Amino acid sequence: MIIKDVVCPFCGCLCDDLDVEVDGQKILKVQNGCALADATLTGSNRLPAPIRRTDAGWEETSYDDAIRDAADILLSADRPLLYGWSSTHGEAQSIGVHIAELIGGVIDNTSTVCHGPSILAIQEVGHPGCTLGQVKNRADVVVYWGCNPMVAHPRHMSRYTTFATGFFVPEAQRGREVIVVDTRRTESAEIADEFIRIERGGDYEVLSALRAIVQGKTSVLPREIAGVSREQLIRVAEICKKAKFGAIFFGLGLTMSPGKSKNVRNAIELTDELNRHTKFIISPLRGHSNVYGSNEVFTWISGYPYAVDFSRGIAFYNPGETTAVDILRRGECDAALIVASDPGAHLPHSAAAHLAKIPTILIDPHQTATTPLCRIQIPCTIAGIDAEGTAYRMDGVPLRYKKLIESSYPDDADLLRRIHDRIREVQGA
Amino acid sequence: MTELMVKNACVIDPLNRINTEMMDIAIRDGRIVESVSGNADVIDAKGCLTLPGGIDSHTHVCGTKVNFGRYMSPEDMRAGRTARSGKMHVTSGYYVPTTYGNSYRYSRMGYTTLLEGAMAPLEARHTHEEFTATPHQDMLANTLFDGNWSVMEAVQKGDVRRVAAIVAWTLTAVKGYSIKLTNPGGTEAWGWGEDVTSIHEQVPNFNVTPAEIITAMIAANEMLRLPHSVHLHCNNLGKPGNYRTTLETFDLVPDRNKERQSLYATHVQFHAYGGTTWRNINSKAEEIARSVNAKPQIVMDMGQIMFGRTMTMTADGPMEFKLYCLHHNKWSNHDVELETGSGIIPVLYSKKSLVNCVMWAIGLELALLTKNPYQCLLATDNPNGAPFVKYPEIIGLLMSKRYRDEEFATLHDGTGQRTAISSIDREMDWNEIAIMTRAGQAKALGITTQGKGHLGVGAEADVAIYPIRCRDVDPSTEYRKVVEGFQKTMYTIKRGRVIAREGEIIVEGANSTFWVNPSVPEEISVASDPEFVKKFEEYYTVRMSNYPVQDVYLPRGKCIRTEAVL
Amino acid sequence: MKAILNTGRTIPQGVAVEHKGSPGYRAAVSVCHMNPVDLMDLGIEEGALVVLTSRAGSIVLSTSASEEINRGEVFVPLGPYANHIISAETHATGMPDFKSEPVDVVPTDKQVKDIDGVMESIGGVRYDH
Repeated sequence: MIIKDVVCPFCGCLCDDLDVEVDGQKILKVQNGCALADATLTGSNRLPAPIRRTDAGWEETSYDDAIRDAADILLSADRPLLYGWSSTHGEAQSIGVHIAELIGGVIDNTSTVCHGPSILAIQEVGHPGCTLGQVKNRADVVVYWGCNPMVAHPRHMSRYTTFATGFFVPEAQRGREVIVVDTRRTESAEIADEFIRIERGGDYEVLSALRAIVQGKTSVLPREIAGVSREQLIRVAEICKKAKFGAIFFGLGLTMSPGKSKNVRNAIELTDELNRHTKFIISPLRGHSNVYGSNEVFTWISGYPYAVDFSRGIAFYNPGETTAVDILRRGECDAALIVASDPGAHLPHSAAAHLAKIPTILIDPHQTATTPLCRIQIPCTIAGIDAEGTAYRMDGVPLRYKKLIESSYPDDADLLRRIHDRIREVQGA
Repeated sequence: MTELMVKNACVIDPLNRINTEMMDIAIRDGRIVESVSGNADVIDAKGCLTLPGGIDSHTHVCGTKVNFGRYMSPEDMRAGRTARSGKMHVTSGYYVPTTYGNSYRYSRMGYTTLLEGAMAPLEARHTHEEFTATPHQDMLANTLFDGNWSVMEAVQKGDVRRVAAIVAWTLTAVKGYSIKLTNPGGTEAWGWGEDVTSIHEQVPNFNVTPAEIITAMIAANEMLRLPHSVHLHCNNLGKPGNYRTTLETFDLVPDRNKERQSLYATHVQFHAYGGTTWRNINSKAEEIARSVNAKPQIVMDMGQIMFGRTMTMTADGPMEFKLYCLHHNKWSNHDVELETGSGIIPVLYSKKSLVNCVMWAIGLELALLTKNPYQCLLATDNPNGAPFVKYPEIIGLLMSKRYRDEEFATLHDGTGQRTAISSIDREMDWNEIAIMTRAGQAKALGITTQGKGHLGVGAEADVAIYPIRCRDVDPSTEYRKVVEGFQKTMYTIKRGRVIAREGEIIVEGANSTFWVNPSVPEEISVASDPEFVKKFEEYYTVRMSNYPVQDVYLPRGKCIRTEAVL
Repeated sequence: MKAILNTGRTIPQGVAVEHKGSPGYRAAVSVCHMNPVDLMDLGIEEGALVVLTSRAGSIVLSTSASEEINRGEVFVPLGPYANHIISAETHATGMPDFKSEPVDVVPTDKQVKDIDGVMESIGGVRYDH
């Protein structure tokens, strides 16, 4: 059986045009997806049952026991950390926030090591953006800054920019100018019309230089800025000002380099200035399929998009203090619930190591680099494969993941609900 | 079966022509009934003012741009925060509260039904998720069509039936309630960084004018027999001299419906400016009110501003960018493909600003100069004019000339020359306030048949009991008591359950979302129309089969079916 | 040799990221991409093993030559090997210096650990089923 218009649960592109051939409990073939979609949807090797680590080693345990133990661990903690959330659906994320609220814990999602700095910049200067279809239909200038979509968001260019035909850009690539800015000549730079090679750490300066040119203050610039010639920047600024519709997409090259949120802020302010000349938008390339969803859900419930600390009874937000890496680095949490992410692989080990020292519960379908660090792992469904639910695309458009196959795994929303209810029951008693 | 008896209520129920009558209200299973048994729970209203639950006919509380407003404003989240307590979740936010924050604060003020001012169809799922997290008010979604490509193409062809068919398909797909037009044509122009400056200006690339869009949509709305009329945010919001655009727009509106208005013009204060620049801006509320007084087919809401900080958020992208150029505050923008736009920017309305003082006066003038209170409803375009928690102060100002004079004395001293407020003696009475805050909204939104906005037998038991004894309070002089009284109910009852008591929310909510499913004859349906489907195949970035909002998002949805009359 | 460590996504890393037990994942993320001239200066061929040491720790990786990597820089795909030596210092931003960690690169004859081995070195307990 072929299921059409499947929403891919891997990256922030949230492509919803996949055709997936299934056979009851198995996914056989994926069409229209990229290599990442293929690998995600057709992979197997899921943990068969909950496991628990004792002094004698690992043993299998039951879902009932695992849930009860998880609730007990969270109940007895003084400062529990609930981390991850980006690969599951909104229904589970929502319950996660309510659990954190109940137990006075800290809840953080993977934005914290991805586009957290972008959020910090948006909180300073706002976000002039749009949905991806606006770019597809109108953009004659596309800038990719500090990101490599050919590798991390493989269909971004064919669905939304360079190679896509739009209502006002029927010639697709021939009707668009693509500019790539990076410290090395990446796969994306190879197909660009203009490549700006920046010295590592030079993004802030180059953005400032472009702002100066756009404001008509070219005379203040030296001949070379962070390895980029003034001439090239003048040319690029001109291309941007003459665009009918320009779109800047940016990634971890800005958020992770020195300056971090200030790099992003500068890029947003450049966009603001370009808007005085023509139409320009800027948008982050979100990594996980539903990381933006975790920001949305956290925000409408607590007021803040990540790093939310409920220990005072109110929602409290202070990145640098209430962010997962900092809390783990300081050894501040005494229990952890990790859902739909892999801090063992993706957080610095001097922080992740703390997870091995405290009772850590992992809700994840696969054996990951976090498995060795946890005390209990509870396998569950995979949103978009054997569970349906809501996900938010990188531009804020909400879609519903389809359930493609049946499985015997519980939905992580159900697992979390049961943990939540048990916590409430014990607290009420 | 649950029964509740509210005794000793001093009821004002304008739709049933009841004006400060002492009565008992019998409630069974969520509805108002003739009588209940002796086993009913009893609430003693102690002779206090009892009204149908409040209805806000235009408020921004749920959806993409509202959530944008929240997460870009951690300083506002911090300002309005409250701790978890009893049944109440944590809340954050003062101008843009979190969903629970909105729900609890509206409940505290006795409001039980809200119309979300703007929902982009492509992002409707988000609005519905937030509706469920606003658990103590029934919700309705104004659905944006102002920049809709399919609609504009049909309008350009003069095909009103096709317009109706597109609206029907879309409202059904996204479970919307009504047609919203925000700066029609302007939001599409903003896709290129432009705007339209008159209702007769062509929208770039689409060869239609705002006037044509508005006229066609009104015709389509009536063709579909929708419960609410077209809901319009006029072109040229916020521009000195824009009152002409507003009057021209009002002149377009035919009288097509016996039950209600044919056009709901929202936050008209922002559209009632005379003068030519910020330097000579003045109030044209008188002219606007005169037009509305002569046109029963138009209902408006005030769009009152109140002094202090707040957040502006609207689908009117170009207007928000202008505010950015003026004030350089943090600015967000979010245009939605093939559909509409939006912008968000914080503002400060200051008594030192003559322009802001004129704006403040205009909102009040509109209400006081409109003869029929059913035609000018109380709203602030929350949060654009002011956060809704300021409604009680507006009630106080409408009921008391003295309060207005005292406020006026603190304004910029040039205000008097630009406005008429200081010469208006009218003081609204309790009945008129009840109309402006519930009965009028229910009638305008077309939800009286759903049992909203009144307390007659058969109505939904949404009841607000305020700690005000009408006979003992002179609103003209004791406006402080009026303001305090409307800030916090003794009881807020929703569908027969006590939700709030003395400001504390005591139960978990289980709200409903009202939506419409208008059906059109098969031959004009666009569901398989190649031109319509092509929009999804080629221009949208979401597949047509993934676009509609699934039933699961409306756990207690109430579908209103209508049948098109072509 | 002193260098700056940059980390990030690659296709092989992304394809295997949901299958961290696979040899494909391990191969994708335990490699240090270097400029060929830097490899030459270290006196090793592509594929030889090096140990990278930072203020946060040290890790053994294999090598791969890439002209696109600037001299004085090394690139390791994001994953448990890279994160073994990225410091948890965030300068109060919440975000570590994933793209600018100073490291020392030295050829080695130690072996590349498997992922469980890396996790054991920070206190984890391998799970074999």
